[in-house]
Amino acid sequence: MKSFFTSKGIIGIVLVTGVVLVAIFAPLIIPAEFATKMNMRARLDPPSMDYLFGTDQLGRDLFYRVMLGARTSVMIAVSAVVMSVVIGLPLGIISGYYGGVTDNLLMRLVDTLLSFPVLLLALTISAVLGPNLQNTIIAIGIAFTPFLARIIRGEALRIAQMPYVEAARAAGTTDLMMILRHILPNIMPPVIVQATISLAFAILAEAGLSFLGLGTQPPRASWGLMIQASRDYLDVAPWTALVPGAAVALTVLGLNMFGDVLRDALDPRSRSGG
Amino acid sequence: MTYVLNRLLSLAITLLLISVITFVVTNILPGDVAMMIMGTQSNPEALAGLRESLGLNDPLIVQYGRWIGGMLTGDWGTSLVFKEPIGPLLLQKMTASSLIVVMSMTIALTAAVPLGIWAAVHRDRWQDTASSTTALLGVSLPDFFWGIMLILLFARTLGWLPSSGFVDPSENFVLALKHAFLPSLALGLGLMAHLTRMTRATMTGILGQEFIRVARAKGLSERTVVWRYGLSNAVGPVMTVAGLQIGYLFGSIIVIESLFNYTGMGWLTYQALLNRDIPLIQSSVFVIAAVVMLANLIVDLMYVLVDPRIRLG
Amino acid sequence: MKRRDFLKSTSAVVGGTILYSAVPALAQSTPVSGGTLIWGHSETTQNLDMHQTGTASTGRVLQNVHSSIVTVDKDLNVIPNLAESFDLSEDGLVYTFKLRSGVKFHDGSDMTSADVKYSFERCKDPATGAVNFEVFNAVESIETPDDLTVIVTLNSINAPFLSRLAENGAGVIMPEGSGEVQGTTPIGAGPFKFVRREFGNEVELARFDEYWEGPAYLEKIMIREITEPTVRLTGLRTGELHMINDIPADRMAEIKEDPAYQVITWFPLNWDFLNMNHDFEPFKDARVRKAFDLMIDKEALLEGALWGEGAVTASPSYPTSASYNHDLVQRPQDFEQARALLSEAGYGPGELKVVFKVTTNYPYHVEAAQIMLEWFREGGVDMSIEQLTWSDWLSQVWVDKDFQISMMNFFTLWEPDFLYYSLWNTTGAFNYRKISDPVIDELTEKARVTVDPDARADIYKAVQQRVFDETHDVYLWFRNGSIGAQPSVGGLDTVVHPNGSNLNFHKVWLNA
Repeated sequence: MKSFFTSKGIIGIVLVTGVVLVAIFAPLIIPAEFATKMNMRARLDPPSMDYLFGTDQLGRDLFYRVMLGARTSVMIAVSAVVMSVVIGLPLGIISGYYGGVTDNLLMRLVDTLLSFPVLLLALTISAVLGPNLQNTIIAIGIAFTPFLARIIRGEALRIAQMPYVEAARAAGTTDLMMILRHILPNIMPPVIVQATISLAFAILAEAGLSFLGLGTQPPRASWGLMIQASRDYLDVAPWTALVPGAAVALTVLGLNMFGDVLRDALDPRSRSGG
Repeated sequence: MTYVLNRLLSLAITLLLISVITFVVTNILPGDVAMMIMGTQSNPEALAGLRESLGLNDPLIVQYGRWIGGMLTGDWGTSLVFKEPIGPLLLQKMTASSLIVVMSMTIALTAAVPLGIWAAVHRDRWQDTASSTTALLGVSLPDFFWGIMLILLFARTLGWLPSSGFVDPSENFVLALKHAFLPSLALGLGLMAHLTRMTRATMTGILGQEFIRVARAKGLSERTVVWRYGLSNAVGPVMTVAGLQIGYLFGSIIVIESLFNYTGMGWLTYQALLNRDIPLIQSSVFVIAAVVMLANLIVDLMYVLVDPRIRLG
Repeated sequence: MKRRDFLKSTSAVVGGTILYSAVPALAQSTPVSGGTLIWGHSETTQNLDMHQTGTASTGRVLQNVHSSIVTVDKDLNVIPNLAESFDLSEDGLVYTFKLRSGVKFHDGSDMTSADVKYSFERCKDPATGAVNFEVFNAVESIETPDDLTVIVTLNSINAPFLSRLAENGAGVIMPEGSGEVQGTTPIGAGPFKFVRREFGNEVELARFDEYWEGPAYLEKIMIREITEPTVRLTGLRTGELHMINDIPADRMAEIKEDPAYQVITWFPLNWDFLNMNHDFEPFKDARVRKAFDLMIDKEALLEGALWGEGAVTASPSYPTSASYNHDLVQRPQDFEQARALLSEAGYGPGELKVVFKVTTNYPYHVEAAQIMLEWFREGGVDMSIEQLTWSDWLSQVWVDKDFQISMMNFFTLWEPDFLYYSLWNTTGAFNYRKISDPVIDELTEKARVTVDPDARADIYKAVQQRVFDETHDVYLWFRNGSIGAQPSVGGLDTVVHPNGSNLNFHKVWLNA
């Protein structure tokens, strides 16, 4: 608990909480039209009293767009990571707990998938499925699963070899009970830490995919899409990139910091970073 | 000996799996390369003719066999859209991307290691926080964002470096480096941030250990303790972490190369995907995955060499 | 009517002019020989085989490598090129071409009638997969009585035939037997030789000293493929590039005012229109289609999506062409009428939902779609956008015709038969909107065999009127083409081909 009160911890928690609050409440307070309303007389306007963060190339208010964009970006990231955990958890646990041939086969598959760079995997899946919101989530989710599965498997293996677990098994507990009672609760802390860090990467991944045109669809605002749209206007209107860029940076920064202190708190044996 | 053989066998199987996954995913891509070639000038008859001449109507197993067989005999096929033989194309583009990967890794390590050590040595003081925050910031922004900023700064405002394009190193090494520099820097910034944190964490761990205390007690200067004993032990783990980043780098080059119009593997793969150029997609994705796998393998082996205490397998 | 008149007049039907905006008089100097021009090209080249390539970008580059048998002047009249004269028989079925002597190909060989026969037959052969193979559908035979004479006999009158040959896609002359290598190393009779292509990066061309019209001034051209508009513009500003095409629309005003650069704009480069799938239930009703037309303020859309770089139009014919229907005026935005039409057709506010499939290949389309979304909402239509890659758009919209509403542009369709038949005839090759209008079918068939140029022009005007009345599609605008160049580049007033898209550097030079 002590680690949470370092400056890093506090900043991290504040940032993450801030983003989450914006993601949840902004769409409830701000009408959706504010982010899509165009003003052709105010295209690429710098920040001013009328437009706090300036406007984009279609005269849309960047302040509202970045606020409402929080929900899209956060939702995609959270859904993708949840998906990768939902798939990776059973895979990793089964692999680590049962070991043997199952473990070999599964990990062989996972290792193969790990040879494909995450962005490449996400890009290809997105190309296959077609670019829209759900498919972006699926693409990132699937791309993150191998990495998560591997880590979970490592943890499951380690926990399964602990003496008290062996004892429980000797006492005749069924496999299912073993997993539910002993493995799962002990595996959650590192999984949560990893998930937090993955969230940060997921936000960056969504930005990357949108940048390549295979992510979120307009006119919906997502931070990645906003950065992509700003590409053509950088030397005349840098705020169009800086505003969503800052949003991404703060979120990812917060998540990284939060993840760091979380790891220190939940996992005192922390292996050298990574 | 058996270990080596085992790893080689493992390698072969993984390569095979990579090829299967690549083939399957490529061929379930919707869309059709004949259409891409003809664009809005196409009509159904012309399309049919083109498809036939490109061999797209054969059963999948046959196409897979043809592909694998070709690879093994050195014939990697021809790009359907660009009409270039894929083998030499891949070689050239791989060289181009490797240049960036190596350069960015060098930039990153050169900056990260000293910075990380500095932070570890002055742990929990302002130097540590400053370094941490900078590192975190670097890691929090997408690398293409850095790329955009760098283009604006170095190419547009200062005019020191070219903003796009690629030059083959074998033709003009200096010019090649100039074109590779900004993309490498963009990649390197994010990487540097990550490696700084790694180095700091590793060094902190090492500096807290028994033998360091012994060295200090022996009266050795702080500098010797840190640099001779600390660093030499940190190098191993940091290198392995760096090596594992190669996979991540090869993913990032897709975006960075497109941004800088640096025509390397990332750019090639992306173009191939957009064009549904199946032979090219297959081969380039396969090569990237294979290279990453090999890099990871080498890192694994190095890890074993560096730290013989690790049990094999 | 005399044969000669016929020949002159068929082409007059398609007259058009490239309109230039002011060119700063910085480069009005005498031509200098030598130098390497570095051109930042906005698109990548693909297949270099002139017959097989369908992309405007490749055609633009190959314009310098290949020559066609005939060409067009700036008024889009067909004039001699590799053929020094051409003739048509009384019955309109036999074309006789007299070739120029002493024309050399890049590989050193002389051009003869055998090469012409080879090129035409290659294009016609389905196995080649040539994009324009249907140009030769009516060709019955090609004879070569001597080295410099080619006789092409058709089995039915095909008024557009000669005009189609003025484009390299159909009329290019390649050395006999060179088909195999054309995809990787194009060999032609143009002013520049193909040297090499650094894949996706640049194409290198070198002067062909034996070009029949006299050697070009430039010694070399390096064509750097830079698709990123910001990067391209930066390249011009830093001096890395001598010239670029396709200046980003939003920077146009800024660049034009900058005395350090020459800017040429012309129109049309291409034209854009909104498509409604006639297989989609709501769009079967002409009232619904008209309602959509009424919800769009075309001028505002042009301003919004393209920063005004273009001109709105109610017709896709080239603006100075004889077949351009000047009586047509676009419908102004009128939400009341639109809503009235929609409810008349049975769609109350919010009841009609459409999906707009737009391709990221043309970023300004994506902007336009977003703007239209707002208007459609005001008119009571619930629209959502699906952003597709070029490949997906071609696959879903173009080939499978699986879409509701979309938009597209077309380049170089100055020949009216190619334009109107392909796009609006029920059997037209480009009719992806599934338009089937017997009135248009009849008109386009008739135009194909009408030899009198005025009558032909009138028929096409009627087609345009019909498309407008029935709102089969909604025309939007012509887009401007643009070139930005350093002051050292001379001869830029000759570089744009009459079709508005291709660039020819024969008469361009570089001052030291």
